Amino acid sequence: MNDRPELFRGNRILLGCIYWAFVLYVFVPLILMVLMGFKDSRFIGFPIRSWTLDWYVGVFANTEVLSTFGYSIAIAVLSTLISVFVGTWIAVLLESRKFTGRPVIFGLTVLPALVPGIISAIAFRIYARWLGIEPGMGAIIWSHAVHNVPFVVLVVMARLSTLPKSQMEAARDLGADPLVAFVRITLPYLVPAILGASIFCLLLSFDDFVRSFFLGGYEPTLPVLIFAMLRSGMSPEINAIATVALIMTAGIGIWAERFTRRMKKDT
Amino acid sequence: MTDPTPLVRIDGLSKHFGDTVALENLTLDIPQGQFVTFLGPSGCGKSTTLRILGGFERPTTGRVLLDGEDVTNQPPEKRQVNMVFQDYALFPHMTVAQNISFGLELKGMGRDAIRRRSSEIMAFLELEDFGARYPLQLSGGQRQRVALARALAPDPALLLLDEPLGALDAKLRGQVQQELKSIQRRTDKTFFFVTHDQEEALTMSDRIIVMNKGRMEQDGTPEELYFRPASRFVAEFLGETNLLTGRMRGTEGGQIVMDWQGTTLRGKAPRSLPGEGQPVSASVRLEKLDFHAQRPETGNAVQGRVVAKTFLGSRMALQIAVGDQAEAMLKAYVDVDTSERVGSDPVWIGWDPDHMAVLND
Ligand SMILES: Nc1ncnc2c1ncn2[C@@H]1O[C@H](COP(=O)(O)OP(=O)(O)OP(=O)(O)O)[C@@H](O)[C@H]1O
Ligand SMILES: [Mg+2]
Repeated sequence: MNDRPELFRGNRILLGCIYWAFVLYVFVPLILMVLMGFKDSRFIGFPIRSWTLDWYVGVFANTEVLSTFGYSIAIAVLSTLISVFVGTWIAVLLESRKFTGRPVIFGLTVLPALVPGIISAIAFRIYARWLGIEPGMGAIIWSHAVHNVPFVVLVVMARLSTLPKSQMEAARDLGADPLVAFVRITLPYLVPAILGASIFCLLLSFDDFVRSFFLGGYEPTLPVLIFAMLRSGMSPEINAIATVALIMTAGIGIWAERFTRRMKKDT
Repeated sequence: MTDPTPLVRIDGLSKHFGDTVALENLTLDIPQGQFVTFLGPSGCGKSTTLRILGGFERPTTGRVLLDGEDVTNQPPEKRQVNMVFQDYALFPHMTVAQNISFGLELKGMGRDAIRRRSSEIMAFLELEDFGARYPLQLSGGQRQRVALARALAPDPALLLLDEPLGALDAKLRGQVQQELKSIQRRTDKTFFFVTHDQEEALTMSDRIIVMNKGRMEQDGTPEELYFRPASRFVAEFLGETNLLTGRMRGTEGGQIVMDWQGTTLRGKAPRSLPGEGQPVSASVRLEKLDFHAQRPETGNAVQGRVVAKTFLGSRMALQIAVGDQAEAMLKAYVDVDTSERVGSDPVWIGWDPDHMAVLND
């Protein structure tokens, strides 16, 4: 009995060490990347003798980088809108009634999330050529939308399954036809899930390299641009671009997480 | 069948779920303004009936007529019927006022009319202070009132209530029972109330329909059901009773005569009974037994001995052994004075034949 707290404490210290080791493992590369973006030298590595913001000034003065940011964001937003619309629709259909073939449809729906990126990218490329779709923005949006639909379906279905049956019945009872009941009751209930799924899709799309690379035209998305820049040598400018992207995505992710959690708690 | 067009006519209603028979051939008329309670144990088809009336379920056979119109195949939004759900089903993203206005908006009422009607109903149910709150910010009792207000607001011809008090604690439940009854009286609406709680049914209803395994057992006022149960099931389901199992002797001057423990007893029969010599049982309520030093001159009487007394606050419960060898036991409720008068000597226990229902065993 007496040594229980001791053992407990030992465990806690051990767990703490493992935790911090993990955090270091994850964050040290990121921290190094961020630090190098402020180094006043082309050569990447320690020691850092003097600091500068020149790389950032360069990035924000570079219209190619800025327009690529805009291009990536536009692709992310448009593909997310499509994924969310299609995904929510499928989720509602799948949840609303049990019909034969439902497991098959569900399986086919989530499959795109499981196919390795490179394979689906090549498949898309072949398919796009066969259909006569030019590589470029449309093709990228299409592939991102298809890839992201399963995440929307899963998140929305999970939320939908917690909606008590009596909610829809109460709406019908008070005079709402099925469509009005869906718009006034189901949709508001799904908002936190839809928002969460949207943010996830935005980040997935913004981050995607393989599909954008295979289906892109002359205009690169941000990850493709960084890749191209890397080929002509590592430069602190890349660190600056990456840091800006990191802050943006992390900021959106954290905000969305807190926001949806608060909304779910409210309803 | 006295009223030519009752508010609700349920005509030969059955509902089967695969092999499960949830409801079997229910026929029933409900006139306007009644507080009708559907009472029965779990799984007897109460909710199923209510859901058919609300339009959430199609019957396998049979029809539902509302004000003479066949509504069997009408969807819920077309019916002048509203429901208070067991879990209240308040819309969490709407305030109390918005919840109450929902049905009014969908009726196509104008903005001012909606505001007037919803404040009227909120005042009626003492909800004025909660209009801007969300359902999560209310107590259980307040939520229950909001659900009631929301269902009453569109002025339905018939209000359905599926065990709406189940989620409340015992004390609040008693209070809400009184409230609900008084609301029903003041609005003069027809309430169709479902419960498995016999006490609740007895205190609130104008009329109780006892259900058992999808079939109607009895339909009557609380007093009729309590003192003249039509079946053993009803007698046992509603409150406590003495069940005397004996043999049928015959009919005499409008009374049923039966043998029980070597004594001849007389009673009333709400339903037809088997022939002479067949087993029957009789139900006598605990509070209908009287104690006498001499054999009473009229009515039923047996001799017994009090073997146990339990103090229940307002009254005493007595256990009585009947016969020389204590062949049978009876239970009685008496006031404390009577209990003190009755010692452990043999006494005569008597009761009025009108208070004994002889039932098919
Ligand atoms: N959707 C359904 N599918 C299959 N069987 C059902 C369905 N709904 C009800 N039943 C069955 O029908 C019977 C009656 O159910 P019902 O819900 O009407 O009972 P109840 O009297 O309301 O009981 P409780 O007091 O437990 O609510 C039960 O045996 C139940 O299992
Ligand atoms: Mg039920």
